[in-house]
Amino acid sequence: MIRFILNGREIEVEVPPHWTLLRLLRERLELKGTKEGCGIGECGACTVLLDGMPVNSCLVLAPKVEGRRVETIEGIGNKESLHPLQKSFIEFGAVQCGFCTPGVLMSAKSLLERNPHPTREEIKEAISGNLCRCTGYQQIIEAIEAVVNHLKRETI
Amino acid sequence: MRGIGLNIPKVDALDKVLGTSMYGEDFSFSNLLHLKVVRSRIPHAKVVGIETGEALKVTGVERIFTAKDIPGNNRIGVIQKDQPVLVSDRVRRVGDPIALVAAKTIEGAEEACEKVKVIYEELPFVKTPEEALRPFAPPIHEKGNLLIEFNLIKGDIQVGFKEAEIIIEKTYTTTWVDHAYLEPDGGVAFWDEKGRLTVICPTQNVHYDQREVASLLNLPIEKVRIIQPTTGGAFGGRLDVTVQCFLALAAFHLKRPVRLLYTHEEVFQVISKRHPLKIHYRSGARKDGRLVAVEVDILGDTGAYASYGTTVAVRSAIHATGPYEVPHVKIRSRMAYTNNPWSGAMRGFGVPQIAFAHESQMDLLAQALKMDPLEIRKINALQVGGETATGQLLRASVGIRKTLREIERWRNKISLSKFDPERPFLRRGIGIGSMWYGIGNTGIANPSTAQIELSPKGEIKLYIGVADIGQGSDTALLQIASEALAVEIKEIQLIRADTSNTTDAGSTSASRQTYITGNAILKAIENLKKEVLKEASFLLHEEEGDLFVEEGFVKHRQKFCIALPIQEVARRTGRTIRGEGYFDPETTKLDPKTGQGSPYATYAFATHLAEVEVDIETGKVRVLRVIATHDVGRAIHPKNVIGQIIGGVAMGVGFALMEEYIPGQTISFLNYLIPTSKDVPEVIPILVEDQEPSGPFGAKGVGEPALIPSAPAILNAIADAIGERIYHLPAKLERVLEAVQKSKSD
Repeated sequence: MIRFILNGREIEVEVPPHWTLLRLLRERLELKGTKEGCGIGECGACTVLLDGMPVNSCLVLAPKVEGRRVETIEGIGNKESLHPLQKSFIEFGAVQCGFCTPGVLMSAKSLLERNPHPTREEIKEAISGNLCRCTGYQQIIEAIEAVVNHLKRETI
Repeated sequence: MRGIGLNIPKVDALDKVLGTSMYGEDFSFSNLLHLKVVRSRIPHAKVVGIETGEALKVTGVERIFTAKDIPGNNRIGVIQKDQPVLVSDRVRRVGDPIALVAAKTIEGAEEACEKVKVIYEELPFVKTPEEALRPFAPPIHEKGNLLIEFNLIKGDIQVGFKEAEIIIEKTYTTTWVDHAYLEPDGGVAFWDEKGRLTVICPTQNVHYDQREVASLLNLPIEKVRIIQPTTGGAFGGRLDVTVQCFLALAAFHLKRPVRLLYTHEEVFQVISKRHPLKIHYRSGARKDGRLVAVEVDILGDTGAYASYGTTVAVRSAIHATGPYEVPHVKIRSRMAYTNNPWSGAMRGFGVPQIAFAHESQMDLLAQALKMDPLEIRKINALQVGGETATGQLLRASVGIRKTLREIERWRNKISLSKFDPERPFLRRGIGIGSMWYGIGNTGIANPSTAQIELSPKGEIKLYIGVADIGQGSDTALLQIASEALAVEIKEIQLIRADTSNTTDAGSTSASRQTYITGNAILKAIENLKKEVLKEASFLLHEEEGDLFVEEGFVKHRQKFCIALPIQEVARRTGRTIRGEGYFDPETTKLDPKTGQGSPYATYAFATHLAEVEVDIETGKVRVLRVIATHDVGRAIHPKNVIGQIIGGVAMGVGFALMEEYIPGQTISFLNYLIPTSKDVPEVIPILVEDQEPSGPFGAKGVGEPALIPSAPAILNAIADAIGERIYHLPAKLERVLEAVQKSKSD
């Protein structure tokens, strides 16, 4: 039995010790927004936030999240109230097949929480662990930049 | 929101950003069994025995299927049916499927796979197409190792070379490239409540899958239902059957739901690759830069199975001249079977490979003639009234010159210095690459169908068999329908890519869906309007001939007070009003001896300009910027078109510099590198909209054209930077260093 905070709520769940966090999320908790791409930590499709930092959930053993904070795509917004990044991704055409999208969004969210005014290079760096075969990244980067610029305006 | 040319939110984007879209791997059932495939580990052998006894003892194993369990035809293939679903007597490649395990757990299925014993008698491993075509080479298939030889002959090649004042002759090679879509193939199968064997998995063509599954299981076609869920990329890799037949076979026998998810490594091992081509290219031009002769010999490796080998052989030959008018042409294009991984469709069907060759040749000619590379392209570029190598007269929408003019305008603004005084190990250069691409399948019928309905409840339903694989056909086709019907997009319900309620649209490939299904939708709407007028005439007691449909209303030519919304007509009649559409592009069959004919109804054109920086000490190439101009006809959704272009450039960077699948060595993303956010250049996309009169609202296509010119432009830029050319893709570090060495010694 492990206890951790999932998308802001404390949960308690039984999990075999060899299961990965990804498997726990998808198969036990039915949170299928986190995608399984390569399963070897290379593609970033399974990115979730662990205590605010992006991790490949396919490489994290489930028991390791005991007492920690896990955020998934299901936790960042919903139909009625999208996260600004989600809104921006739609607006800027940053979504094609969509398989990398949840992972990229999590990486971007973590970046903006740690560094609200990143440069273009810092944005590229932050999503460099998330492979995308469709978009060529440019519209993703523009979508993130637009949120950054919006945040900048709000703070000024 | 509706309308052509508007950047409406993509209809699938909301679910995708929320993570609520259902992909193949997201479907599950509580009582399902897990499948795993036993595969050959050697490339060529007779299978003399398959022993499953030990494997069946593994806990949780329910059943192990072999070829004997297939009730119907154990041969599939999109053009030639040469591929067994489960091998019975012979393996032809590493990864050939031999048995299928069904077990209660994935772990149990994996363990059982390890325990299936296959007894082989090894056969010689045919490693190259040259070897395969030698006399007395071990035949890989009954018909021998030559899959196809296609010849294209125009004019008189000897006359052409006699007229030539400069001749350039070079050999180019390309290698296997993986689609590298992120979602591994996988899905579920089950018998549905109506007694249909149902398969849900990623695909580019549900109706093709349905035919293969029905034939495999000897089932009537209507007893098989294929549903395409949200699909995580495809790029041609999902045109062939992947998991469909395994899922269907197991569910057929077991009468309970089954699930098969390929591992990422399995996808790399067993899904088709881009065909490696060896291209011997000879071009002749006059001193003024006019091309007079092009002679090309193409030899490709289709691997163990045909897949799209014939298509690639033919399409690469047809496109071999590039987007230029050449009076004397002779092309021979052959494809051979080997025991290598099978090659298939991969974004461009051979055109990306051949474009690398024809664009290198154009730069070499320009260099030899001391001409501007842009100038030589302008001199030779096709135009309206021009004739292609297959003798096709181009009647409209030939935007290649416009793309060249745009590139010229941009080039005049570039100030890129070749040397960097601060970093003397860098060299910079620019290069241009042009392309043309025939929209749709080559010289054969490739129709699409669509239906549109008005229900008595006032609903509007659009039925299309089209698989949206992420590129955005759902949105673009809805835009076409909403424009033609003059209703808001949100008023139209889209029913798509499910064989139980849509009809055959053909595959999502060859950049064909916007053009072909777009036109089928327009036909359906035209027919719907006729039906609406019939009903309205009855309802309004007016002559049908006096009524017409405009802006979504039935109106009267004289009585201006009549304006009845078309939905209202269905409501009042209490019946569903339906319009059906069919469209097949106007093509002719190619002459079997000379390859002459009109293989495509329309062509897309593009030119890219690449700026690169080469580190001459490490061989590392950085693509700084790509200006990408595309004649797409009309852009239905400009932002999506631009998305295709930027994504295509990224894939082009990979094709040019890093992507190389090495059989036996490449396992996964660990050693198969694709561009990351840090590898891609800035892309400036420019749309040149030379409208196609036969296209829906003037549209053509862009999916494959987006990728094709990038690698040629990058390779030409590298040559410009270091003064030496690379003839083999990818231009990886050691090849660049070798070229740098060569340029120093020259």
